[in-house]
Amino acid sequence: MRGPSAAPGNAARGQLLQWIAVFLFFVLVPLGRRSFFITMANEVLIMGLFAMAFNLLYGVTGMLSFGQAAYYGAGGYTVGLLLTKGVLPYSVALPLAPVVGAALALLLGPLCIRLSGVYFTMLTLAFAELVWGVVFKWYGFTGGDNGIQGIPVPEWFHHPLHYYYFTLAVVVAAVAVLRRIVESPFGAVLQSIRENPERTAFLGIRVRRYQLAAMVISGAFSGLAGGLFAGFHRSIGPDMMHWTKSGEVILMSILGGVSSFFGPLVGAGVILFIEDMIGKYTEFWEIWIGGIMLAIVVFFPRGVIGTLYQWTRRKGSRERDGNAAAHP
Amino acid sequence: MRSKGMKWQAMATIGLALVLGLADVALAAEKIVIGGMYPMTGRAGRYGIDSVAAAEIAADEINAKGGVNGRMIDLIFTDDKSNTTYAVKVANRYIKEDKVNFLMGVVSSAVGLAVTEVSKENKVIFVGTDHASTALTMEKFQPYYFRVSNNTYQSAAAAALYATDKKEWKKYYVIGPDYEYGHRTWEDFWMLLGKKRTDVTMVGQAWPKLYEPDYTPYITAILNAKPDVLVTSFWGGDTVAFIKQALPYKLFDKMKMFNYDGGGNYEVLEALPNTLPKGLVLSARHHNNWPDTKENKEYVKKFKAKTGRYPSYAASGAYAGVYFIAEGVRQAGTAEDADKLVAVMEKMKFKLPEDPDGFTSYMRPIDHQIVQMQAIGETVPNNSFPPATMMLGNWKIYKAEDIIPSVEEIEAARKAVKK
Amino acid sequence: MDANLVAAQLFSGLTSAMTLFLVASGLSLIFGVVNVFNFAHGSFYLLGAYFAYQMVSVTGLPFWPGILLAAVGAGIAGVVMEYVFLRRIYGRGGEAGFQILLTYSFILILDDVVKMIWGTDYKSIERPESLSAPFTLGEISVPRYDLVVILVGILVAAGMWWIIRKTRFGRNLRAISDNRDMASCLGVNVPLTLSLVFGLATALGGLSGALSAPTRTVTPGAGIEVIIGSLIVVVIGGLGNFWGAFVGALIIGEVTAFGILFLPQWAILFSYAVMALVLVFRPEGLLARKGSA
Repeated sequence: MRGPSAAPGNAARGQLLQWIAVFLFFVLVPLGRRSFFITMANEVLIMGLFAMAFNLLYGVTGMLSFGQAAYYGAGGYTVGLLLTKGVLPYSVALPLAPVVGAALALLLGPLCIRLSGVYFTMLTLAFAELVWGVVFKWYGFTGGDNGIQGIPVPEWFHHPLHYYYFTLAVVVAAVAVLRRIVESPFGAVLQSIRENPERTAFLGIRVRRYQLAAMVISGAFSGLAGGLFAGFHRSIGPDMMHWTKSGEVILMSILGGVSSFFGPLVGAGVILFIEDMIGKYTEFWEIWIGGIMLAIVVFFPRGVIGTLYQWTRRKGSRERDGNAAAHP
Repeated sequence: MRSKGMKWQAMATIGLALVLGLADVALAAEKIVIGGMYPMTGRAGRYGIDSVAAAEIAADEINAKGGVNGRMIDLIFTDDKSNTTYAVKVANRYIKEDKVNFLMGVVSSAVGLAVTEVSKENKVIFVGTDHASTALTMEKFQPYYFRVSNNTYQSAAAAALYATDKKEWKKYYVIGPDYEYGHRTWEDFWMLLGKKRTDVTMVGQAWPKLYEPDYTPYITAILNAKPDVLVTSFWGGDTVAFIKQALPYKLFDKMKMFNYDGGGNYEVLEALPNTLPKGLVLSARHHNNWPDTKENKEYVKKFKAKTGRYPSYAASGAYAGVYFIAEGVRQAGTAEDADKLVAVMEKMKFKLPEDPDGFTSYMRPIDHQIVQMQAIGETVPNNSFPPATMMLGNWKIYKAEDIIPSVEEIEAARKAVKK
Repeated sequence: MDANLVAAQLFSGLTSAMTLFLVASGLSLIFGVVNVFNFAHGSFYLLGAYFAYQMVSVTGLPFWPGILLAAVGAGIAGVVMEYVFLRRIYGRGGEAGFQILLTYSFILILDDVVKMIWGTDYKSIERPESLSAPFTLGEISVPRYDLVVILVGILVAAGMWWIIRKTRFGRNLRAISDNRDMASCLGVNVPLTLSLVFGLATALGGLSGALSAPTRTVTPGAGIEVIIGSLIVVVIGGLGNFWGAFVGALIIGEVTAFGILFLPQWAILFSYAVMALVLVFRPEGLLARKGSA
């Protein structure tokens, strides 16, 4: 499995084109004048950021965490609680969301990293459930199973178009930072850990430290996504932290393609769109979504972007050396 | 530069716009669109599916009579999956894409709380048909919300009146699912009972998680505490599981079980043919066998004909919801002017299948909560509604006005929440 | 707190524990041997319950044959899932992610299949007549059916131990869980064994569902509910460790039974709290050998 990696030469131009294409797409969505599209696209951006944060752990570092929803929820509740209790304004609470996400990751990360492989995955799931349980039960503080409604973000943000462009700006900035991280030497080490942790350790690298760092960064961006969500929906609940939410981003990433940087974002778009479409037409949506997931796993394991990439490569240029060239 | 051509173009454009605009209006005048959100999967799926069926029956009845002032009712349904995020998205889509005139639903109170915010933001009336959290009509009230099924306060108030008369009920034990609904149902009851009886004590409490599969350790603890009455705030499958597990311990010989909000729901009676014990004291938001009026019998018969089974009480809420909306539109003369509708609907009286002779359900302006009578009964053998072999009987009926919070109580609760 | 209460809670805790163990045992088995966390395990539990309903309440078979057939049915369904689908992703890069997605997709699919065939009403099976009466020991009165469940739990644990330790099949299982390729080199028919193990595990899941059906609610959605509970048990005892699941279930069962006497408001958090404690101090699980991760 390949992850995003630094692209040499011509591919860099292809990369820039990709960035521009994605950016333009999202900027132009509101022109469709369908207010619902704006809401959808807003949600895609938020979940896309969350999924890309997850993929930093999975696609890049090879750590399959089933507990990212805990950090997403932590960010959401940070904004939700601070605003409803009137402690801080949105402009301060939102930047705090990634901080809280990172802090939680710093707390839980070391506990999970002690084991690897599927054990690690189960640990992340277990701890996330624990966090969920506490939030669910703490009725006096978090609103328990009812959650928090009517989060008072400033009036300006209530307009869907305003909030949409705000989200777009924040997400673009966040993604740019993520991108830098992935392409930096730090990112290279992460990918090396994914490929072969033992050999990486032999190089003298403190693998655990890097894994923890990856978890903290991922937790931060997940928290940011959660904070954005709290401002968007203005209602949050413990289901933000439920394990099924963690499962959603796993699905989105794999659907879009874990080896490509924008894969999870594409995956988020596809899943949210399909969910909406299918939900409209039938009560038996479970078998449809399940069927699609199954088909992806069996027939399109590289996800949307990966498979597209495969097809275009087959059509055109010759294969280079055995190592497939870097994905854009 | 002005020219003849330009003028004609302009006129043609305006003409076209007028025609299209009128056509648009004309088309819209055809239908009253109601966007329904109900769970259709998972534990609450039965309630959603029953609600959809009952709503369709109501809409068909109304449309068969020519609709409302000539406008037909159009229903859209989506499975809200009992998921607040998804439900908010669906509500938004209903409002922005499908241009619904009304939102209707839901079963989960948490979802209701989230959707009422969407209703408030967009000024679209939201008719609640099954969820029971009192918060929606008290602390979190907003004018575009109406509830046409009774809330936990009403069930609890009726239960408190029932319990007040039971002089031999002195020691109480409560067990219920550990979330707001489970707690609130008990707390409202206990608070109201405490005002009338000073000789009652709570000898124990237990709060298993929602959908807990295994109540055995709780059952042995309850038996040890030897209460007179076991109040349970379970609903649906949890009630069934608890009864099944408690039966071999002969728990029901040793104490009365009292489940006054969801315990008497038909799907519980139906799930335990031949095993449901006699003498459980239960109630529900609608009963298939009470009141024994023509309207109620008709409604139940139609539901059975359409779905092949008897309804759970969520269905009657949806049925009421559609009729409520239809009557509101008829009286207000519009389906688009939300504020006018609110002014009309909050004072409305309208007869429902669950109203006994001589009583008509009505809406209260202060909290937009429907005011209805409540009936509490005991399980007795009754084969009229197979596959259930027991239904409720030995009814005690409570007047609607006796079981609603007073205006002062409501205002006090709302003030307490304001920061 | 008197002796009667202690005895009663001890016993009811044991009943809970055995049911938990039965449900979790299949999960533990698959994980230990095939290294797959079968998210859909709860769905086989559900299938077992519905099959049992179909056999006993609809077709009118006697109770025990109905239960056994239900378990077999769930086992067959498991083999199909493994052979047709899971097999395709063995050895893939990033296998863990695909495993999760695949088994998760089965939860969704099976949930709807069950709903389409049987509808959303709560289904019922009755306990066999002979087991309805309680069994009295001094002051304690216990349903006979629960005793049988406890017995079945112990039998299953013992049976599995015997199979794993004393049979050739078991030896192959242990070899495969150690090193799949090596086992294959040594002549073990790995694909066949994997399918059989899967079938055995899902049959156990189906058995637990069928056995629970008379005392619980048979409804779509029940499948997802048991998976987290099983996860907790398995994690506490040690992933992949069969006796670990037994011990984990015992701990959870008894902690809950006594915890509710002292802290009734916190019942929902007991199992999570125990799990958190174990994970902090011994993340590989209580019974795992050190370094088995």
